[in-house]
Amino acid sequence: MDYQKPIPLKNQDNQPYWDGADRHELLIQTCESCHQYAHPPGPACAKCGSTELSWENFGSDIKGTIYSFVVSYRPFLPGFQNDLPLIIAIVELEKATTVRLIGNIQECNPDDVKIGMPVKMTWVDITDDRALPHWIPAP
Amino acid sequence: MSNIKERYAIVGVGESERSKNSGTTPLHLALDAARAAIGDAGLSPKDIDGFMSYSENDSCTSHQLATYLGVRPKYVKDILGGGSSTEMLVADAIGLIETGQVNTVLIFRSMNGRSGVRMGGGGWDVDMLQSAIDGGSFIIPYGAGSPSQWFGLFATRHMYETGLTKEHLGHVCVSFYEHAQRNPKAYFYGKPLTMEEYLNTPNLSSPFNKHDFCLESDEANAIIVTSAERAKLCKSRPAYIMGIAARQCVSHAHYWSNLSEVASDYVAAEVYKMAGVKPEDLHVASIYDCYSWVVLRQLEAFGIAPRGEVGDFVAEGNLRMGGRLPSNTAGGMLSEGYTHGMNNVLEIVRQIRHDYKGTERQVDNCEIGLCTGWAGPDIAGAMILRN
Ligand SMILES: [Zn+2]
Repeated sequence: MDYQKPIPLKNQDNQPYWDGADRHELLIQTCESCHQYAHPPGPACAKCGSTELSWENFGSDIKGTIYSFVVSYRPFLPGFQNDLPLIIAIVELEKATTVRLIGNIQECNPDDVKIGMPVKMTWVDITDDRALPHWIPAP
Repeated sequence: MSNIKERYAIVGVGESERSKNSGTTPLHLALDAARAAIGDAGLSPKDIDGFMSYSENDSCTSHQLATYLGVRPKYVKDILGGGSSTEMLVADAIGLIETGQVNTVLIFRSMNGRSGVRMGGGGWDVDMLQSAIDGGSFIIPYGAGSPSQWFGLFATRHMYETGLTKEHLGHVCVSFYEHAQRNPKAYFYGKPLTMEEYLNTPNLSSPFNKHDFCLESDEANAIIVTSAERAKLCKSRPAYIMGIAARQCVSHAHYWSNLSEVASDYVAAEVYKMAGVKPEDLHVASIYDCYSWVVLRQLEAFGIAPRGEVGDFVAEGNLRMGGRLPSNTAGGMLSEGYTHGMNNVLEIVRQIRHDYKGTERQVDNCEIGLCTGWAGPDIAGAMILRN
């Protein structure tokens, strides 16, 4: 069956991130002027306003810890009715602790999710050419 | 900048009927609220020369409202906005009066918030949301489409860092529902909430259950702002504006970038400075309450209780009548009605004017009140009023 949930819309600012996700890689925008990470990516660095931006490839072995989360018991967007309860988390990257990514925690009992829990990025192929990063509890 | 402290006042407040299904248009509701506010001030429609509103494309225009009050306005403004829009428009009105554009401004919010366009999430176009929200592609594909989830991410972390518990959220709800029992016009009048019932209610989206969510209602509210000189000509007792911080923002439009800051943190310093008061000088408050946790976070931001002690503050009953800062005394948006905050403004004006004198709804000796607005963690405002 066709994927029923929202698919990330690519635009000129976020395209390298989502192109990377489609290849099962994580790319994060960085600022060449102040040397800080910029997430979400934008047309300029939100820390210093510089347009000297580049992308750092973190590869496919991505670890992090849960910084915050919610567990939703009803769908607030179309397509999520079969994903309940849904865990939405903000995950702090192990290799770049200033970067926090929002994602779903999969393969996890909602009663077990907690702040500080180690997680690992996984990619789900949602269409022929698109993939969406998610997180699963790290062993 | 000229000091506007106590040179402007809210001189009229009014509302329409409140229901879950008005059976009428936002224009009709807005006219009812406007006529009530004009009557409250003892003015005639022709005394109003500026009209403003905020909406989410779910209302009538200011020009329509003025038209059917029989007034040709000198100035109209309709903005897109929810929480904290009232404070912003009050500040805009002051600026316009200060520069001689208009004399007296009526600000309204009218919505069929239950039977028409609902705010609680659902029904929105997901591609629109992805584009409309900064970094929207990083949140919408994960099913986060409701403010309860967006603010919930802040709440979970804040509760973890400061020791707030579900029971502390419950104290906000129980306190406000208790106020609603003194307000026959409140939606949950006759429906008090016990802590036991609260704690036994399952979460809709953690850490929030249905009681932590504001309700949805069909209603319109209106307020009238004018100069202190003109306020003397009104029949109502003016609620003078001591200070106003129209809008403050956090540092990133994608506000999930930093869960440690909310816009209210920046609002608090500005509004206290302009008003020349401290948190301990406040007698009554209307604290924007789209969700229970939002109240707790603002109590911290506005220095009403220190970080880490906010839970004890509410558990001790300090938001209740007789507490240190009775708040949302009509029941707030958790239990009275929901107009993106303007119903809370109406209530604090009425408390400051001692409209409830002689009844158990009146906060004793209340002279100074704080009214806060919260569009989200990202954008907020506030004003301090006195009688
Ligand atoms: Zn930079």
